[in-house]
Amino acid sequence: MTAPAARRAEMLPTSKRRNTFALPSIGFVAPAVLLAGVVLYLPFLYTTYISFTKYNGLGDPQWVGLDNYVRMFSDPGLLNSLLNTLYWVAGTIVLPVGLGLFIAVLSHNLPGATLFRLPFLIPYALSGVAVGVIWSFVLQTDGALSQIVELFGADAPRWLLDAPLNTFVMIVASSWQGAGVNALLFGIGLQSIPKEPIEAAKVDGASGFTMFRTMTWPMLTPLTTVVVGLSIVGSLKTFDIVWGMTKGGPGGVSETLALTMYKETFITNDYGLGAAVAVFLTVVTVLASVLYLRRQLAPERSV
Amino acid sequence: MTTISTTRPPARRRAFSVSVLLRQLLLGLMGLVWLVPVYLLLANASKRPEVFGEYSIWQFGDLGGMVSNMADAWGRGRLSLGTLSTALYAITGPALAVIIGAGAGFSIVALRLRNGFFWFVLIFASTIFPLQMILMPLFIGYAQTGLYNSRVGMILVYTVIAVPFSAFVMRNFFSGIAHQVFEAAVMDGASAWRIFWRIYLPMSAPALVAIFILQATFIWNDLLLGLTLSQSETVRPVIAALSALQSTYGGSAMSTVLAGGLLVSLPTVVLFLATQRAFTRGLSLGQF
Repeated sequence: MTAPAARRAEMLPTSKRRNTFALPSIGFVAPAVLLAGVVLYLPFLYTTYISFTKYNGLGDPQWVGLDNYVRMFSDPGLLNSLLNTLYWVAGTIVLPVGLGLFIAVLSHNLPGATLFRLPFLIPYALSGVAVGVIWSFVLQTDGALSQIVELFGADAPRWLLDAPLNTFVMIVASSWQGAGVNALLFGIGLQSIPKEPIEAAKVDGASGFTMFRTMTWPMLTPLTTVVVGLSIVGSLKTFDIVWGMTKGGPGGVSETLALTMYKETFITNDYGLGAAVAVFLTVVTVLASVLYLRRQLAPERSV
Repeated sequence: MTTISTTRPPARRRAFSVSVLLRQLLLGLMGLVWLVPVYLLLANASKRPEVFGEYSIWQFGDLGGMVSNMADAWGRGRLSLGTLSTALYAITGPALAVIIGAGAGFSIVALRLRNGFFWFVLIFASTIFPLQMILMPLFIGYAQTGLYNSRVGMILVYTVIAVPFSAFVMRNFFSGIAHQVFEAAVMDGASAWRIFWRIYLPMSAPALVAIFILQATFIWNDLLLGLTLSQSETVRPVIAALSALQSTYGGSAMSTVLAGGLLVSLPTVVLFLATQRAFTRGLSLGQF
């Protein structure tokens, strides 16, 4: 805790010298600030403005107040996208995070852990579309999964055609891709847990699940918050896998908000509604980000 | 760990190794299940289209079939042009972003930029909101400035997208370098640019490589920006091309689509396998 005080003291004499580097310091930060300003923040503001207008890309946007937002929450198709997005968020917290934790705990301090974790990590290097290509094939009519189900004498459901089943199986596909990286993050967290309390608990006779519940899990909580936060934010933006598997269909039943935004803007040319969806997504994303950002931006980090 | 287990009575030690074996078994089984889709991809990408229906899904075709299917996806499926462009984007974008991000980190940490934390948050916060928020204005702006469907436009957007993450990582990384290093270089009369280029950048090579690999993978795998800001086969990134291939071919030429999926995935998977440690370092640098 003495570090900030010491740093401040050390900065005092340099405050004079700071002037020497005032110009270079601006020069070095300028490209990043300018690029982010022009390519990220300016479009951000424009989308916010357009969300209050009626605009189809031609002529001038017309101010309509909250109309687009009212339409958004009254249109059955959009409400369905909202519901699907909620499925994605809930499913992503349970499956990839849970599986990731499970794999991390199983492989922690295990001989050959790197090798055992490898199968789970390979899908992470794939693009969402490639995952979609693979899983569309697995889930197609008479495909691999249907054959396995029929092996047990049951009728295979129409995986990608019926809602909400198609959303659920796409969440499974996404978990197949994402569990490994969560396992990796949890693994890093487990490595950084101090050994002494664990050893002490071991001496006291704790082991297995009790050990995990009373010792490991509480110490892992800060990291879990980060992983859950990242997963929520990621799932809110779900686009690639759905685009690669159903394109939101059939008839829009498996659309997520990210997909609806794309379709309203670039296919229906309803820029105002698309922008309203984007703004809504942003508000929810920022709220979810607070979960882990406070930690990422905090000057003192323990893990 | 090991010192303790040697002092344990033999019974406890055996229980310990049984648990290790069980964990290995369970993880191994789960790993095999995880690889089933990969196996299905390989097996079915290797069947020649004309005999595709004669095989069971679970049977492997032949290596020649896989090569000819890949050639098909590459040529007739039109992945070839996109692949070259995407390689250009995935190398240039992160390379520029890493330098720009490092510059921002250098300015904030070493040069002690006035209100540095504010500028840092400003740069970093631009990655929080979803891409959806910038797609439409970028599309309009690109159309008006002639950047739409141009390689320069794609490199620009991919660079900017990667800047906040590299600024974040590099600021944290530079914070770990003692400021005396900077002060000593100033004493020796080095300019800010020289200190950055000759001292700080070389010192942070591992972090730079980690960011580069992570962002190159991200850019290679991007769909949304490619879909929105490009159109022609020569400019369009390869993932958007794969998506188009999937829509146009579908059922009858399934093996071509699968071979295409395999083809565009190979670079990132190979990169990941070859640089696993840098990849992991990048992830942990970015998360904590």
